[in-house]
Amino acid sequence: MDITTRTANGVTIVAFAGNLDSNTSPTAQQALDGILAGGATRVALDFTALDYISSAGLRVMLGTAKRLKGAGSGLHLFGLNETVREVFDISGFSQILAVFAAEAEALKGF
Amino acid sequence: MGPGFRMTIGAGPGEVGRVNAAFAEFADAQALPAAIRRSVGVALDELLSNTIRHGFAKAGQAREGGEVVVEVELCPDRLRVTLSDDGGPFNPLDLAAPDTALPVDTRQIGGLGIHLVRRLMDEVDYQRRADRNVVTLAKRLDGGG
Repeated sequence: MDITTRTANGVTIVAFAGNLDSNTSPTAQQALDGILAGGATRVALDFTALDYISSAGLRVMLGTAKRLKGAGSGLHLFGLNETVREVFDISGFSQILAVFAAEAEALKGF
Repeated sequence: MGPGFRMTIGAGPGEVGRVNAAFAEFADAQALPAAIRRSVGVALDELLSNTIRHGFAKAGQAREGGEVVVEVELCPDRLRVTLSDDGGPFNPLDLAAPDTALPVDTRQIGGLGIHLVRRLMDEVDYQRRADRNVVTLAKRLDGGG
């Protein structure tokens, strides 16, 4: 799991590469905790290089989305592959999280 | 018997990661389609982490000695996975499916992992056999299901 962070148009973009599973989700949690502690309120997760996500990773997404609820803030996701999308659909996360096809839409959607 | 591998892991941290790595290597060597490799990767992570978290803990005693045997076999039409552990009786399929329609504030994650396994795999079976929990999975290679 590699995590890289950059900023564009006031949005913090966090890119995940590899698997977001029981083994790697503590690392992802820690990274997102740090980003939120640093004051980021608009966060976009780039899943373009994410291979798969299990429920351990979904738990991290849900917790982060809850903390970013409120005016002018939010958690957006983009670049989901077919399997990640399937996991989101099965779990109902496609309905409760803001999922976008590509980065441009994800950044505009706040 | 088709190509496959067998390995034994303990309950320590990083043990599930060892299986993920071995499976990724096997999937590469067999040129498994990405969708199959990813779905099975999710299922392995859910079931193994469940076993280590609940199955071994249920006996109510230290289970450092607990082991899970993982067997993967590539058949002509499907990938078969068998997970067998020596923890107390624990049928992960008994876990209730979560309400996936709840909004973000009230969503819980419990039971979601097994729900994912059921939906991503074509066959899921549990048996208590010779003091072991045995879970078998099958994923069709044609992408059906």
